[in-house]
Amino acid sequence: MTVMEAPSLSLADIDAASVISFPDGLVGCGDWKHFVLLTSDEEDLPVGVLQCIDEPAVRFMVTDPRYIDPSYSASISFEDRQALGLSPDTKPLIYCTLTVGNDGAITANLLGPLAINVNTRQAKQLVLNDNTYSARHPVGQVG
Amino acid sequence: MLVLSRRPEQSVRLGDDIVITVLGIDGDRVKLGIRAPRELVVLRQELFQELHDANSDAASTASASTEMVAAVLRASVKNSAENSAEIAVAKA
Repeated sequence: MTVMEAPSLSLADIDAASVISFPDGLVGCGDWKHFVLLTSDEEDLPVGVLQCIDEPAVRFMVTDPRYIDPSYSASISFEDRQALGLSPDTKPLIYCTLTVGNDGAITANLLGPLAINVNTRQAKQLVLNDNTYSARHPVGQVG
Repeated sequence: MLVLSRRPEQSVRLGDDIVITVLGIDGDRVKLGIRAPRELVVLRQELFQELHDANSDAASTASASTEMVAAVLRASVKNSAENSAEIAVAKA
């Protein structure tokens, strides 16, 4: 397993109860089905890490897309709500993945957000197929 | 690759549940109708590829410092004056 470089997040946080399941995997990456969310214990960071259990080298930095676009909204189809096991009045947790390029440019995938049913821990990558959002929305620059 | 010729209004069936119909041809554009189970994901190939590539790139970059990325996010939120949201990722 790759050692995480961010010291405030610990792989010891992984336990079976907190596994988030994507039954279909992610779009184009169908083998990535089981993740745990690692968050900092010491401070409230706006960024967490989704660590893949099936493929230990796979980990996503995630955030709430509303930090990037306050008006962000992900419409969820009836089928997606069913797949997530969401009752009609329940909202899923919505995260987007962040990518840091070799040049330090940070982008957010607002086109394919991750929807998580907090109660059942069932999750699905949505596809907002309406040309509103980009898979590589510029966020800023590290370093 | 299986290659079939179809005329407008003719169809191809994939298994029991999926029917693809050529609805019309307009210059270099072909309009397809797809009847498939609702739970089946149907995406344009470019969109699928875009998301596959974005997922692959995102998966391999989380070794960057979350603290540094968090700082950039906080700064950008601070810059958008009307947003005073509490900044923390809710525990799932």
